[in-house]
Amino acid sequence: MKTSAAILLASLASVSAFAPIVARTRQVAPSPTELDAHTLVLVRHGESTWNDLNIFTGWADADLNDKGKGEALAGGKLLKEGGYTFDVAYTSVLKRAIKTLWIILEEMDLMYIPIVNTWRLNERHYGGLQGLNKQETVDKHGKDQVLVWRRSYDIPPPECDESSEHYPGNDPRYANVDKADLPKTESLKLTEDRFMPVWENEIAPAIKSGKKVLIAAHGNTLRALVKHLDNISSETIAELNIPTGVPLVYELDDDLNVIPNENGIAPLRGAYLGDQEDIRARIGAVMAQTK
Amino acid sequence: MFAAARNAFSIASRTAVNHARVSPSTRSYNSGDIIWIPAASCVAAFQTAEKSTLVLVRHGESTWNLENKFTGWVDVPLSPKGEKEVVEAGQLIKESGIVPDVAFTSLQKRAIMTLNAVLAETDLMWIPVNKAWQLNERHYGGLQGLDKQETVDKYGKDQVLIWRRSYDIPPPVVDKSSPHHPSNDPRYAKFDFPEEWTESLKTTLERVTPYFNENIAPQLKEGKTVLIAAHGNSLRALVKHLDNIGEDVIAELNIPTGTPLVYELDDDLKPIPQEGALSPLTGRYLGDQDAIRARIEGVKNQTK
Repeated sequence: MKTSAAILLASLASVSAFAPIVARTRQVAPSPTELDAHTLVLVRHGESTWNDLNIFTGWADADLNDKGKGEALAGGKLLKEGGYTFDVAYTSVLKRAIKTLWIILEEMDLMYIPIVNTWRLNERHYGGLQGLNKQETVDKHGKDQVLVWRRSYDIPPPECDESSEHYPGNDPRYANVDKADLPKTESLKLTEDRFMPVWENEIAPAIKSGKKVLIAAHGNTLRALVKHLDNISSETIAELNIPTGVPLVYELDDDLNVIPNENGIAPLRGAYLGDQEDIRARIGAVMAQTK
Repeated sequence: MFAAARNAFSIASRTAVNHARVSPSTRSYNSGDIIWIPAASCVAAFQTAEKSTLVLVRHGESTWNLENKFTGWVDVPLSPKGEKEVVEAGQLIKESGIVPDVAFTSLQKRAIMTLNAVLAETDLMWIPVNKAWQLNERHYGGLQGLDKQETVDKYGKDQVLIWRRSYDIPPPVVDKSSPHHPSNDPRYAKFDFPEEWTESLKTTLERVTPYFNENIAPQLKEGKTVLIAAHGNSLRALVKHLDNIGEDVIAELNIPTGTPLVYELDDDLKPIPQEGALSPLTGRYLGDQDAIRARIEGVKNQTK
């Protein structure tokens, strides 16, 4: 397995040596069909109408904007060109992730695979900040406090009220969820705590049984997942930016340990598909949203 | 530790409900739902049946409808007109106040896209969706991919009419050397289809009805509102079953595309006849009733 992967990488390298000098660095992770490992692909949903307006979204069900739809389509094309296929997809109950998934599956001609929607893959709940403009919140509470709420590992924003439209108990899509599990706010840690059961009970077993899995989800649930896969510390994970719409490919062994990919951008050991310079630039850009 | 016990409790009750819904004989991945149901309501579901609502939508116009080709299991997308039709279908369902809890569809994109459009319009993209080959269009055997008019010119109007509208005479078979045999399509990889394959309306019904009884009926008996986005012949099979329609009548029945058909069922899954229903159906179509009547007449004219 290692030999064939090495041959593949060497042949990719030799092809790029003949490419025109004007071409940008473009590396795509090797096609998984050559490897015996289990393939897991993660995609963060594209830009939503609320990202545009710079509003804290959380569990609010904002739709993708046109740019976000384009990002999903581009992600789908990269997966299609890379020769990927999937047996099952997991996503949240929020439409920006679901639509991202639908667009990708349509592009890959895989609309027929089963999709599992779970609230446990939802974005982190932003408590009483949901619906508030990010810059206004900074003006009101100060940059430092907002930074703590946004980037701390375990300090959640203030709770939303039970009468609020943002309290999940008032939304029919959570009618079957145990009330005790419904958050009024979440930190990244709490997000991780409620995400991990679906990974352990549903997704990991599916991967172990040989299914090729695609997860279309949100910034913080994907952070929770890669923290677990790559053993990332709490301090590091709170700063990690996963670019939107870019497929992130993991190869896992039979025990679901990550087989590190050469193109992994630390601390991740999975590799993004697409133009690597562009991706690195985008990872930097997300940090600029509150000053 | 308490959380772990609660999780274990929820997992056990969820697993029990799922086993009640999906028969192992369908051999398809249980894509249904991760719904964490407290054990008490799970027991209640087994004991009492309730009235329910069933909404059927035939997929909108496909690109091959436009090209007048026999489609069957070929996976063609909706045409631009079809895409508009299904958005309207979603709007009609939204305006009706009907709120589906769960959806079923086939493995074919024209039905899945129809369902997706309806779910987007009704703001229900998050409900569980079950996809099954048993809800596919009828397989058209050796006629798949052929132009309808050319086939008439070749075989004669009467023979083609028999293949299209007979209850139990299927078109010629395809074998495993044909790209139209399901063994050559990865989406059917986990199912075993016979060496030679084709379907009549009768054999279509023979795979639709058991799927309905094993997977859809239990959800209806729990009082769930079920949405099914499917195809002309798989929906014919369903309404034949629901409304006890005769074989000769069902073969002539035209279900207009993109037009929601609403059934209210009692706790025995018997339809409660709806006002405005068009015989032999007891369900009612949503939308402009005159336009719908005209369209029902229109489908008959595809081969002369």
